[in-house]
Amino acid sequence: MQILEVNSLKKVYAGRFGGSRVEALKNVSFRVERGEYVAIMGESGSGKTTLLNILAALDKPTGGSVILDGLALSKISDTAAAAFRRDHLGFVFQEFNLLDTFTLEDNIYLPLVLAGKSWRDMREKLMPIAARLGITDILKKYPYEVSGGQKQRAAVARAMITQPRLILADEPTGSLDSRSTDELLRLFAEVNRLGQTILMVTHSVKAASSAGRVLFIRDGEVFHQLYRGGDSDAQFYQKISDTLTLLATGGRTEREAAQ
Amino acid sequence: MKTGFYPRLAFDGIRKNARLYIPYMLTCAGMAALYYIIVYLQYNAAVAALPGSNVVLGTVALGEKVIAVFSGIFLFYTNSFLIRRRKKEFGLYNILGMGKGHISIILLWETLIAALFSLSIGLCAGIAFSKLAELGMVNLLMGTVNYRLSLPPQAILKTLAVFSVIFGLLLLNALCQIRFLGALSLLHSETVGEKPPKGNLLLGLLGLVLLAAAYYTAVTLEDPVAALVYFFGAVILVILGTYLTMISGSVVFCRFLQRRKRFYYQPAHFVPVSSMVYRMKRNGAGLASICILSTMVMVMISSTASLYFGMNDAMKRRYPREMNITCILQDPEDLSDENIRSLQSRISAAAQSCGIEPKEAYAVRSVYFSGHLNRDLVETDISMQSFFANADSQMYQLYFVPLADYNASMGTDHTLADNEAYLSLGSSQRFDYPYDTLSIQHGNTFQVRGILQDFMEDGGARAVIVPGLNIIVPDLEQAVSGLEDLAYFGGNRLITPRWICSFDTGADPEIQAALAGKLGELFGDPALREQYGLTSFSCENREANRADFLTMYGGFFYLGIMLSLVFVAAAVLIMYYKQISEGYEDQLRFGIMQKVGMTDREIRRSVNSQILTVFFLPLLFSACHLAFAFPILSRLLLLFNIDNTRLFLAVTAVCFCVFAAFYTFTYRVTSNAYYHIVRGGTD
Repeated sequence: MQILEVNSLKKVYAGRFGGSRVEALKNVSFRVERGEYVAIMGESGSGKTTLLNILAALDKPTGGSVILDGLALSKISDTAAAAFRRDHLGFVFQEFNLLDTFTLEDNIYLPLVLAGKSWRDMREKLMPIAARLGITDILKKYPYEVSGGQKQRAAVARAMITQPRLILADEPTGSLDSRSTDELLRLFAEVNRLGQTILMVTHSVKAASSAGRVLFIRDGEVFHQLYRGGDSDAQFYQKISDTLTLLATGGRTEREAAQ
Repeated sequence: MKTGFYPRLAFDGIRKNARLYIPYMLTCAGMAALYYIIVYLQYNAAVAALPGSNVVLGTVALGEKVIAVFSGIFLFYTNSFLIRRRKKEFGLYNILGMGKGHISIILLWETLIAALFSLSIGLCAGIAFSKLAELGMVNLLMGTVNYRLSLPPQAILKTLAVFSVIFGLLLLNALCQIRFLGALSLLHSETVGEKPPKGNLLLGLLGLVLLAAAYYTAVTLEDPVAALVYFFGAVILVILGTYLTMISGSVVFCRFLQRRKRFYYQPAHFVPVSSMVYRMKRNGAGLASICILSTMVMVMISSTASLYFGMNDAMKRRYPREMNITCILQDPEDLSDENIRSLQSRISAAAQSCGIEPKEAYAVRSVYFSGHLNRDLVETDISMQSFFANADSQMYQLYFVPLADYNASMGTDHTLADNEAYLSLGSSQRFDYPYDTLSIQHGNTFQVRGILQDFMEDGGARAVIVPGLNIIVPDLEQAVSGLEDLAYFGGNRLITPRWICSFDTGADPEIQAALAGKLGELFGDPALREQYGLTSFSCENREANRADFLTMYGGFFYLGIMLSLVFVAAAVLIMYYKQISEGYEDQLRFGIMQKVGMTDREIRRSVNSQILTVFFLPLLFSACHLAFAFPILSRLLLLFNIDNTRLFLAVTAVCFCVFAAFYTFTYRVTSNAYYHIVRGGTD
């Protein structure tokens, strides 16, 4: 079953005084099935973050449509979009985006509190997640007191606690060391195995190789995609790496060659 | 490098930070304008021509010093805020290869531009408003107005000199701050992780205790003189208490709320309470300052306005009638009916020769002495020690008044048997005397028949700092017996016979003055003094003293207004900078909350409730301070002969309302700036 459908998405940033126009997204179309783990790869400036912001209803597209769970995101109001984000989407960011005025526990509760849940409910939901993420002991600490990996796990817990339809991750490994990166990717693979749909934007080959499918974006367009199929992580890593080399050297894909 | 490079860079720096720089420069300008005006008044001919101008000039000179010192402190505060916000920019310059020396040159130029801008505006505004200020003062003090515009060069030079010094110090401070910081720390100085504040329960409680002590003192002190002594102590307690409570107590309170899970984990409380902890830690001191400044403004304006508007009352209390004659006589026997009658007829004759028919006249004989009232005993043995330090008894000026004089002047027909007495504190003051008898050491013991609430105003007794107690007796000579030969520790005789005679004239001030002069001349004659046993004669003319009252009370009022302007400006600027700095801090947080799923409206509401709390907390505190200061202030005003509680209450209420309205207005303006910044981060 389809969970996300992106049709010929287009986003143009106009200069402040009508000066230069920047086309961040030209024509992006793809679909995500339920339970999929999709990575979107691309160089800096290829439009990844713009895409993610539009998917999260934080930004409006210039053209095209985003249909999430049967709901056309570009049509709903800001208030409905906020409620939608809260109830159906989970976010994991490169910069963790934890509020420094809250303990980790309170940071994780934030979306639930906003949804008006009682403290008892929230605690019941948190405990199993915290145990699985291995952060039970540090829940009372403040973000500045824990390591980057721990912060990111808290952020994952915050993303998961609402049991969202889709987790959006923006360079989740960007600020982590290699050990924490491995841990986080293992975690993503594990939640995905349990049925969680994940859409991750990254330019790390390693991160992408943990996904089930990789989309490549170049100059605002989906340029290519790779399925894992039966590959191991290492094999998939090699394929992604080859594709990136091809992209970087300006090679043409089979599709373009056929035309 | 090319010339003109640094000035341009400096000018750009100011332009790009206009939101920070413009209020700062306007404040500098405002301070300079006020300073110019207050110096201008000292060199002004119309002010110098005012009656009692030396008193006014003294008050104004005091105000000048207060404004100069306060401007310095205050501009330092705002400038350090500016520097803190700009460290990032300087860090970038530093990394791009500019030495600290170059940055110093930019700072120098910036200071010069800011000084030039604010001083020229300040002086223009000062000159423009100086005439208004002068007219205001001359009007307030009822002098003669002229409409010539003058430009005393001394005032301009003095303003320039004082503010050049202040700007020089500001520059020095900024240079020191830049000097001791590395490039990277300059760049990151805004984003240092912050520990969660741990409120100190002990300090918070101490703050509350101090406030409670100050409030208790203010409410319970009955005696105006003691009020004067303890007032400044109470003020210091309140200031310390406010700072401690706001800094520590508020954090402790938020922590307590956080521990109450059911309350804390609600959409309406969750974000506000947790951010409040940080806000209070950072802003506690600023809020306390705003609170203290607001309280000072309101106390100053309400009390000086009461003085000014209650001046006529005060004069009537000090001088109950237009003419107030006080005769001090040698012996109690000199108060005999015939002697007094003869004195009175001489005064009447003098009045008639001036064409004056005495009206509303009253005359009261008395014999007065000082003593410590200890329970039901008046101690008349007063040693040096007991005079200065006597904790359990109250010093009184005691007046024996014959019942006949009381009845005659009050139109009553009270009666007393031998050895009975009425007690009275004077006009409409409550006096609780629980004993049946009143004994005078070395003298008689009286059965107390009762307390009389009403008595004629005794202006002379008003002028004495010790409270007066009237003992109304059937026979003066008998009451005094036993005390005639006693003396104070200094050797002066204990008892003093006195006769007062007051009346209205209905005549012009000049004629009144003529009568006063005539009487003074008449009773200056040694032969006549010998005849009546007069040791001193004084005739106080109310109109003649009006100018003194006017200059003193009007001068206070004027100074109160000037200083209030300064303090209000300070409070507004602290608020503004607080809002701005919080705006920058909240920018990031705002973005995160939005991503997590807070709607714009929810964020706005949460932020609004925090700002509102932080904003109106000082106003609430100062209202509380003002309410508790009211009793002690009204007692202090008694020292200035202002006993009109209703007037004081009305003036205070008006002050508070005007101030609160102004405060709310400031809130609206500054919170707009805040939202603008927060929004800028999310677009």
